[in-house]
Amino acid sequence: MAIDISPFATEMNRGFLQVLVLVLLEKNMYGYSMIKQLETRGYKVEENTLYPMLRRLEKKGLIKSKWDVSKDRPRKFYVITKDGRAVRAKLLKIWQQQNEILNHLLKENQNV
Amino acid sequence: MSKRLEIYLEEISHYLGISKEKQEITAEIKSHILEKTEQEYGEITDITIERIIETYGSPRQVAEKYMDDYQIIAPTFKGHLLRYTMILFIFHFGLTVISLIFKTSMLIFPFFFIPKIDSLQSLFYLPMTFVFDLGLVGIILYFVTQRGKDIKLPWPKLNLNWQKMASRRLEKPKIILLILMLIGYTALVYVYMRYQTLFFKSLNFKGVESLFNPEASKWYSLALLSFLGIGILAYIVKFFARPEWVNLLRSALQLVILGIVINRPIDNPFLEFIYLDLQITANIIIAIVATLIAIDFLKSLIILGRKSLMKKTFS
Repeated sequence: MAIDISPFATEMNRGFLQVLVLVLLEKNMYGYSMIKQLETRGYKVEENTLYPMLRRLEKKGLIKSKWDVSKDRPRKFYVITKDGRAVRAKLLKIWQQQNEILNHLLKENQNV
Repeated sequence: MSKRLEIYLEEISHYLGISKEKQEITAEIKSHILEKTEQEYGEITDITIERIIETYGSPRQVAEKYMDDYQIIAPTFKGHLLRYTMILFIFHFGLTVISLIFKTSMLIFPFFFIPKIDSLQSLFYLPMTFVFDLGLVGIILYFVTQRGKDIKLPWPKLNLNWQKMASRRLEKPKIILLILMLIGYTALVYVYMRYQTLFFKSLNFKGVESLFNPEASKWYSLALLSFLGIGILAYIVKFFARPEWVNLLRSALQLVILGIVINRPIDNPFLEFIYLDLQITANIIIAIVATLIAIDFLKSLIILGRKSLMKKTFS
């Protein structure tokens, strides 16, 4: 019987998406453009996952948002904050360490 | 704005409940849906909007994603919810039994008020108190959770070894004990048949003297025989049926008998005006017996509850 990996993948993606968003928001972007940007790079993200996450990051002060009403349709633009950059740097460091540990263990497994 | 989109956003807003941000959230979703519709279909019509909404998710699912980090009761307090409720309910149960026996209402400020009720009413009253206790503990834990601070709530140890308790109560009944019980019971039935009472004021060579008048003698003796008979019958049934259920049923039936005895007193049951405080003594004895049986009843209920919980957890 094939095991459904979606719950594991969701769990894994949650943290990854946070880092990804903090990296992506170095420049001003709105939700739909972020989804498209990630899609072109082969990463699919559900809109009803992205928006609540943006809200949580904003509440924690890692990103900020502003409505642009200059066009015929209002768009909400997001950008990373100073605190967001500091957190991003730490998260990337953790992510790199995790990657190194994982690669190291995988190499060890290959030699067994 | 499309009527369909309006309804969709209204539904999301409904599920978001009292969230202060729901206007902002729905504005964000509206902006995204309109943007996506135009980008993917080139035009915004009811049909194209409908297609995009279908991929966005049901209003409830969408609203829940925004509430992921909102908790009514923190997971660390979920164990407290059951334990505190159980402790509160044991108090409520005990006080209800006492107020039943002494036929009085009781108020222990601020949480306990037990009205003057009879045994039948108590059958309806007790489940209600359980719901009240659960709600009360729930409200307190809600406020503790919402404060968001690291509050360490006391964790009273009930000193109950469930596995030991369950295994002890599941021991097989012993045939010798049953024989002894049957002999004792037969003796009691014999005494009753001969003297029409099981309660004696005095036993001397001239004869026996009953403590109660004939009607009360018959009534209380039969109640005692039924009470003991249920105990013996339950013991016999344990040879064939699951003991935890038998214990539960036995305690319940015995409590009903005590309830009947308390609620149907006979006027002036004593033969003569001898011991004025005998009635109070009798009430105290009944109160102690009823409390012990009530505790037994609760234990059986808890063991059954935990067994079914473990079954569900490990199945």
